Amino acid sequence: MRALWARALWANVEEVFREAAARFTLVAYFALSTVFILLFAAAVNLDVVDGALAGAKLFGKEIEMRGGKVEIDKLVLGFEMGFSAVLYLVGTFLAIFATAHLVPRLQEKGTIDLYLSRPIGRVPLLLSRYAGGLLLAAFNVAYLMVSIWLIVGIKTGVWNERFLFGGGIILFAIATLLAFAFLVGVVTSSTAVSIMTSYGLFFMASILTAHEKIAAAMSMDWGASLVHAGYWVLPKTAQLGQAIVVLVSGGTGMHRPPPPVDPWAVYGTTGLFGLLALTWACWLFSRKDF
Amino acid sequence: MASALSVHALEKVFRNGFSRREIRALSGIDFEVAPGEVFGLLGPNGAGKTTTVKILLGLTFPTKGEARILGLSARSPESRRRTGYLPEGHRFPGYLTARQTLSIFGRMAGLSRGEVEQRIPALLSRVRLPEWADVKVKKFSKGMTQRLGLAAALIHKPEVLLLDEPTDGVDPVGRREIRDLLREEAARGTAILLNSHLLSEIELTCDRVTVLRKGSVAATGTIKDLTGASALGVSSQVRYRMVAYGMTPSLVGGIQQLDASIAQTNGHFELSVRDYAHLNQVIDRLRAEGAELRELTPLRSSLEDVFVDLVKTGDLDSPEVKPS
Ligand SMILES: Nc1ncnc2c1ncn2[C@@H]1O[C@H](COP(=O)(O)OP(=O)(O)O)[C@@H](O)[C@H]1O
Ligand SMILES: [Mg+2]
Repeated sequence: MRALWARALWANVEEVFREAAARFTLVAYFALSTVFILLFAAAVNLDVVDGALAGAKLFGKEIEMRGGKVEIDKLVLGFEMGFSAVLYLVGTFLAIFATAHLVPRLQEKGTIDLYLSRPIGRVPLLLSRYAGGLLLAAFNVAYLMVSIWLIVGIKTGVWNERFLFGGGIILFAIATLLAFAFLVGVVTSSTAVSIMTSYGLFFMASILTAHEKIAAAMSMDWGASLVHAGYWVLPKTAQLGQAIVVLVSGGTGMHRPPPPVDPWAVYGTTGLFGLLALTWACWLFSRKDF
Repeated sequence: MASALSVHALEKVFRNGFSRREIRALSGIDFEVAPGEVFGLLGPNGAGKTTTVKILLGLTFPTKGEARILGLSARSPESRRRTGYLPEGHRFPGYLTARQTLSIFGRMAGLSRGEVEQRIPALLSRVRLPEWADVKVKKFSKGMTQRLGLAAALIHKPEVLLLDEPTDGVDPVGRREIRDLLREEAARGTAILLNSHLLSEIELTCDRVTVLRKGSVAATGTIKDLTGASALGVSSQVRYRMVAYGMTPSLVGGIQQLDASIAQTNGHFELSVRDYAHLNQVIDRLRAEGAELRELTPLRSSLEDVFVDLVKTGDLDSPEVKPS
């Protein structure tokens, strides 16, 4: 029994990766990432003297250093903070874009029969696809982050592992949104709807970070309650982004460090949302007539 | 003998979305298939064949009744461990090669990577695709896809095989090969359920048949039972091909007066009578009028005739649709 689950899991993961390899979007994504990394590696030319930046060259041009020397650690940190924030947004969106079709395609007429007629149960099947999608996203994120981290490290000698841990939070956000995309996929069988609603969720939840202000501006009580409830129920997408930057910075190098977050209020509620979405998706999937 | 698969009082009502309409796809059907038997499910489009097979595989859930495979409820995934399925109009992921397809679906049936890799070459030869092992499935023709589907259904050496319109879109040679392959499988004890609206397929392949009409069993039996005239309570006639000399128009008219139907086609006659007594009555008349009988060959009522008889009692479109 255990062997069946494990074999089916790996078969599904393999299929997700093979499909990704065959899809133009993903190949293009890797190609673009590689070009970006290579350009970055070639362009950044830092002149480090005694742990400080004496001069920097970008695309062969000298960068003016205001006030003479800049501490290399701070420069690297600033770059890594900015890059992790960008990657949070881009990585999450790309991951959803690259995996949201997994359920709708599985549920296609003529395809679902092939999968469900195997002795693997429906819930393990769906979770295998989910695992495959998540692993694929992890590869994408890791590819970009580790390469950039290595290049920065080699060129500057500054090795900031916290930058890599930031990738963990990015994956956590992806896992949550992917769970939601799976739920929408099970219900609608539509890749486009899955992608759009997941992106919508991301923005909606970000806006609700300002729930106090929005609720205060609402004339009706129930409207205010709805905004608050929405905030607590939905993933904390904006705060996760902030948390990544704070993590990467290690608490230093920020002009205005944001107030410390209650981990339960951010990670706990977000994780719960993802877990509920995935559980609901599994429940619906296991009861569906095909 | 314990049956390899059985359905009992199986009912299925589809409830479609918001329209609150009920579609009764199956209204209480029963049948059993024994190990080593090739069993045909025959019926026009919309009769409920695919629904029956899907329930047996746990793809669709029954409204009432029971479906079992190898003694296990169709709801349990374990019942599919020894079951192979070729779905109607299946689509394998186009980006996989034949080898990868068999490997992935074989492992989802619980085989190890080693086991699949060892079985794939022989299996691909068996379905005559050996040189296509490393070609992407999207390049395959309909017939090749169908044969690959058959290989995928067989990779884990199932004891029960369910095939939904397996020869659909396959050329005559391919059909024959599929028939032979099914026969081989049955010979080694596999129970086979074959869905088809093609009577000739069922007739050529199956030991026993159930004819479905609008979600109900119209008839069940061996091909012989069904084609032997009286078994069905269907008004049927016995038909003969007759060659005789000295048949005058008045004689033909006389035979028609005996309530037999006779028509001349390409130098021979086709004669339809009620039964043997009626046949002899016609021949007596023929001989008495001086005609000389040269040949009289019974035209077996083919399953197709029976089938048409069975289903023409109602209109052939979808089953009753009634608002709830
Ligand atoms: N998922 C479904 N939802 C609603 N009606 C369905 C569904 N699947 C099949 N039906 C209906 O059930 C009836 C039987 O269909 P089916 O089993 O596919 O017939 P067959 O395979 O004999 O052609 C048809 O009227 C069909 O429209
Ligand atoms: Mg059908």
